[in-house]
Formats: sequence, structure tokens, C-alpha cells
Amino acid sequence: MQLEPPLTMDPGDHTASLTADVLDPVYESLTRFGQSLEVVPCLATKWSVDASGTRWTLQLRKGVQFHDGTPFDADAVVSSFRRLLDPHRGLAGGSRLRAVIGGVQAIDPGTVLFTLKTSYASFLSMLAVTPIVSPAADKQGILSRHAVGTGPYQFLEWKTGEYVLEQRNDRYWGHRPPTAQLKWMWTSEPMLMNMSVVAGQADIVNPLPPIFGEALARNERVKLVQGGEARVYWMALNMKSRPLDDLRVRKALNYATDRDALVRTQLRGYGTPANSPLAPADFAYDAQIQGYPYDPGRAKGLLSQAGYGDGLTLKAVVQEADADLVEALQGMWSKVNVNLQIEKMETGVFSQAIFGSAQQKAAQGIQCVFASWSAEDLDPDYQLSPLYRTKSWSPAGANLGFYSNPRLDTLLEIAAGELDTAKRAALYGQAQQIISDDAPHVLLYYSRDLAAVHRGSRVESMRLLPGGRVEFDGP
Amino acid sequence: MRSYLARKILMLPLILLVASFLIFWAVHLLPGDPARIMAGMQADQQVVNDVRSRLGLDQPFSTQYEIFLLHALHGDLGVSIRSHKSVAQEIGERFPHTLALTTVSYIFALVMGLTGGVLAAVYRGRWLDHLVMMGAIAGGSIANFWLALMAMNLFAVELGWVPLIGADSWKSYILPAVTLGLLPGAVVARMCRASMLDIIHQDYIRTARAKGLSTFNVYVKHALRNALIPIVTIVGMNFSGLLGGAVITETVFNWPGIGRLMVDAVRDRDYATIQGITLLTVAIVVTINLAVDLLIAMIDPRVRFE
Repeated sequence: MQLEPPLTMDPGDHTASLTADVLDPVYESLTRFGQSLEVVPCLATKWSVDASGTRWTLQLRKGVQFHDGTPFDADAVVSSFRRLLDPHRGLAGGSRLRAVIGGVQAIDPGTVLFTLKTSYASFLSMLAVTPIVSPAADKQGILSRHAVGTGPYQFLEWKTGEYVLEQRNDRYWGHRPPTAQLKWMWTSEPMLMNMSVVAGQADIVNPLPPIFGEALARNERVKLVQGGEARVYWMALNMKSRPLDDLRVRKALNYATDRDALVRTQLRGYGTPANSPLAPADFAYDAQIQGYPYDPGRAKGLLSQAGYGDGLTLKAVVQEADADLVEALQGMWSKVNVNLQIEKMETGVFSQAIFGSAQQKAAQGIQCVFASWSAEDLDPDYQLSPLYRTKSWSPAGANLGFYSNPRLDTLLEIAAGELDTAKRAALYGQAQQIISDDAPHVLLYYSRDLAAVHRGSRVESMRLLPGGRVEFDGP
Repeated sequence: MRSYLARKILMLPLILLVASFLIFWAVHLLPGDPARIMAGMQADQQVVNDVRSRLGLDQPFSTQYEIFLLHALHGDLGVSIRSHKSVAQEIGERFPHTLALTTVSYIFALVMGLTGGVLAAVYRGRWLDHLVMMGAIAGGSIANFWLALMAMNLFAVELGWVPLIGADSWKSYILPAVTLGLLPGAVVARMCRASMLDIIHQDYIRTARAKGLSTFNVYVKHALRNALIPIVTIVGMNFSGLLGGAVITETVFNWPGIGRLMVDAVRDRDYATIQGITLLTVAIVVTINLAVDLLIAMIDPRVRFE
């Protein structure tokens, strides 16, 4: 059971992680992530890249069929990618691929060739989150309601207000999955998730709101499952607005934030204070970045240097569900004479407001935005480029505070194309330090993936992969 | 009578037409961008624009309304941007759940309310009267979501007597129907008591008693029938309101009804679904009001329609 319904049964037409969770058992990609986030073979068995880093040749697994009986081969891969690359189709999952992939073609039934626009280091990770769909089902136009992939479960039914039902695929090429059926349910009432897993009406609730963690950890009918930390929460500061264009003010807000207290109260301890714009689950995460320890004295000093010793007023917008957190910040910042005014918004209004241009935000007086981000492929490029590059200024991307540093732009561009992992990690180390020094955000914390499973159910041995995906099989 | 009925029925399309325009206009006034909501918070602007043009939301308002109206006249209420199903089909699946829950909860409310109200009136001032009225005050004042959560925790989680959520068996109806029926039950009990008290002191009741009719016949056949008239009006209005979906109860019990569908549709700015449900609700309210008029004519022979 989860907190929101799936948006679609078409894996290429959404960007929502809870929809991806529902579709994950039905679909497979060319590659997938192993336990320590390394990319391992899935529908592709091996691959090679040429010296320029732009031509990738992949060998495909033989003898695999889609659930509708269509054979899986190079043509299926080509059509699955072309529909995403076609801007006329307007599929929500396509734009990131369009920026990277120049073309895809079948060499023979068991081999495909991808030609990239420039060398892209996280290409294989990107493939791991791009499910392959049945070309026949796509042609019939049924994918939005009817999932057809090659995965261990096949789609049975989507009752919109109730559940999605999936059934074991007996012709599956890999390990036999543990249960005959999977039933996905959802509720908008968090209390119901808690009660469902205790009563055993749901075997698994994922993600579990941290507020229930402590009580469920003590409940003998339930096992609490903890995963990695892949999601970063932050407050974006509008650098086009005074006084947030002043580095001293931004640093002061960072020093005025007691991250330990936020982790304790907002996450009930299931998380870590953020020191870097990358999450700990990311291979390039640097634990050595100093960040900003809680130091209200220093914050006051910086504010008076900047000419705001007497205090200042800022306006933040927040979704109603996240209001608690911003109110906690309001309390902390008031100790250094920063008066944070909070405007609570309903989700639909919020999503429109935060993606406004600099002019729109100036007109609405929006200076601070509370948001979070998790890179679905757990790659630093998808965590940093949409949030910090100049070309990602909202509304084009999620650089919500109009941060711009040409040195960082260049660094991120180079790092995205660097195929040597060690060199790449070093480049991202520099990038993390630059972002931390420029303080475009008040980085808050990383939340830990949390799920609960009913004891005695057949899926009691489930694990959480980094990013929060449930895994049933394996050791 | 016939011409009254015909007039009311002919009015229905006109009411629906006016309502359709008002609803269409109102949902487009809502702040928030359906394309952004569909594409997701992590989508870039290009994707949002692609989604918008695919949904036809980049067309001018008048064009969008024209398309909607032409389709609606052919019985096609459009496709939900959320579930990718036709709105008519979606409503067709969800509405029976709401209808069933509302009906069961009203049967509960009427049985409890009428029995309690009659007994309280007959035993006025005695302990039974006080008990029923205390129950009615409690039923009318307890927040039903709180009661629902308490009842769920006790009967579904701890004792395991009934399922916690869903609409799979008759047992699934017990908790939500009681939760939903409590308030109307309390209203019915109080109204029934007051109206019975008015009536049982009237001459014709004394006459009935003097004729030697049994107590049951006097109270139920003579008194209750007259006491029902104001109750039918109130219950009819409340009932039609609830058919638009009991939002809180449906949310708390994860009931797959029309109320939850509406909440989700508003959250997602799913224009077609909002329009479809609102039009359905308008039609239901008009129809039930008509049915109430007819029912009162059956109960009270003095009522005549011109």
C-alpha cells in the first residue's frame, strides 16, 4: 500500500516514483541496478562503447517474450526508445532521453546501437530506468491503461479507485517470484497505512511516513524495514530577490538552521542532516563537505555585516503537507531576527507557483521554496544539473532560486561526459564544494527510505533498494 | 400531475446545460496547471508543454467548451487525464459503490432514527426518552472521522471482526455505513420525536384510540404516517447530497466511491472528471427532489400538483 495512486500504466509517460514502483514488477529495462547500485545486465547481456563515448552497442537477451507474446528483440528496443524520442508523442518520460540520445538502430535481431549526442557517463544508469514496452501494445494504443512488459509479473487489472493487480509470469526468464499475485493499493490517509499493515490487510506499506516508524518498530505484528538515503530536502533561496542575492544572508540562514533538530522532529530520526547537495546513496556523495553547523551567533554576525542586524522579513511558499517543517524553520530563524512569512498552498497551486519565472516570482513575492529531489537513476548528473545549472532556471528546470555559477556549469558539463568513475567522482567533489560555498539553498536533510511489512506474510524477507524500490527475490 | 412531471423532466436538460457552463468556467478558473500536475514535479518545461498540447489545454477556453459540449451531447463526457478512462465509464464503476453505501447507511439511519424517535415520543420524559435523546445528541455531535478511526482500530485492527478497508463483502459495509448513518439517524430521531409529540395529542389520535385500535396501530399507522412528511423532505435532501459522495467517510475507509474520485479529480485538476461528477450530482439532486415531491403526495393525500 502506498500514498498515491499510479498515474498511468505507461512507464514512459510519468515521472512519479510511486507509479514507477507499481510498474516495476511488470517491466524490465536493458540494464538494472545491483545491490550496491552498480549497473548490471538485464534485458541486455553485455555492452561496449567506442573511444568517443558516443556509440554504445548492446547485445540483447535471447528467448525473452513480452506478456502479450510479442518477441523481445532489437526492433522492440528501437520502437520502445523511438516513441520516447518522438517529440510529437509528448510522453512525459521522454525529454531527458531526447537531450542525450541522438539515435537508436537495430544492427541484427540481437544487437542494438545507440548513438549519443555527446559522451554521457550515466547512460547505462539511464537505461536502467527506461523500461522496454511491447511494440504491439504501443501500436494498439493501450499502454496507458494496460501494462505490457517482460517482467516477472504480468498486468491483470487496474481498478482506478481501488487497486492494480499483477500475476506471476510463468514464462519469466529469471528467478521465479515469491507470490502468485501482487495487489497494489493506495490511500491518501497516512493513518490507514499504519493500521493496514498492523491488521495484515496490507503485507507491505511503502513508503511509510516516518511519524509511524517508532510505534511500528515496537509492534510485534510488524517489521520495520529501513533502506538508504536518496532524497535531498532543501529550501531554495531566490537569488534574484533582495536580500537573498547577498551571500552573507544566505550563509546566515544556513547557520541559523538546526538540522539535527529537524531530523529528530520531522523525520523522527529516520534520516541524516544534509551537508552536501548529493544524497548519501549517490556514489559521488562526499561526506567530508563541511556544510553549515548550527551556529546562531555566527548567523547574527553575518546578518549585521550585511546590514540586517535589526532583522529582515522573507516569504516562503509551501505545500500544506510540508507546512510543519517550514514552521519549524520559522521558529529557528526567528532567533536571528529573520521573520519568515509562510504561505501555504494546495499542491496544484504550489506546483504552478514554484515553477514560475523570475518575474512571476518577483510579482508574487516568492523568496523561499521548500522542495525535495531524488534522482531516479541515483546518478549525480540528474541530481545536480536540473537543480543548479543556469540552463535549468525555472520554468525550464528545477533551479527554483535562479542560481548561476559559470564555473559550476562547465564542471557539471564535463563531469556528465566523463566515463572514468574515479575522475568523475572527483569532479563532483569539486561541484559539491562550490554549491556548498555559494549557498543557493538551505540544504536540510536526507530522508531514509522506510517501509513496514506484516510479520508472517510471504514477503517478510523483502528489502528496500536505494531509492525505495521493493525487492522480493535474491539472497 | 402529469403536466407537472413533464415540465420538471423537460427542465432537466436546461438545468444541465446551464450547470455545465458554470462548472466548465469554474474549473478553468481554478489556479494550478493540470499539465504540470500530470507531468510531475521533476519534469522540465518541455515535457509540461508537450503534455499540455496533448491534452488540448493550449486551446482557447471557448474552443475547449465547444468541444466538451459537442461531445457531452453525444453522451461522451471526455477522458480522465488521470486514469485515461472515459469519464462515463469511471463514474459507472464508482457510483454504484457510493449508491450502495449511502443506501445501507440510510436504512440504518431510518431504522434507528424512526424507532428511537417513536419510542422517545411515546415514553416522553421517561428514561427511554432520555437515553434516545442522549444518543441523538452524541450521534449528531461526534466528529465522524474520529469515530471512524476509533472504530477501525478497535473492530478491524485489534479484534479483526471486520475488514479495515475496501468494499469486498457485506462486512465491509458495517463500519462505514454506521459512521455515515449516525448523523442522519440522530436528525431523524429528533425530528421524529418532535413531530410525533405534536401529533399524538391531536383529536384524531384520541379518536383512533377511542375506537379501540391497538397501540401499535395508533402510533405507527395513524401518527407516524403524518409525522413522516417533514422527515421525508429532510432525508431526501440529505440523501441526494450524499450521493455526490461522502468525501470524509470514503477517504477514511478507502471506499472506491464518487466522493474520493471527486477529491482526487480536484487535486489533479482533472477537468473532465470534475465536470462529469458535478453534472451527475446536479441530475441526481433534481431527480431526488422530484421523487420527494411525489413521495409526499403519496403520503399526504391533500398534496396536489398543478
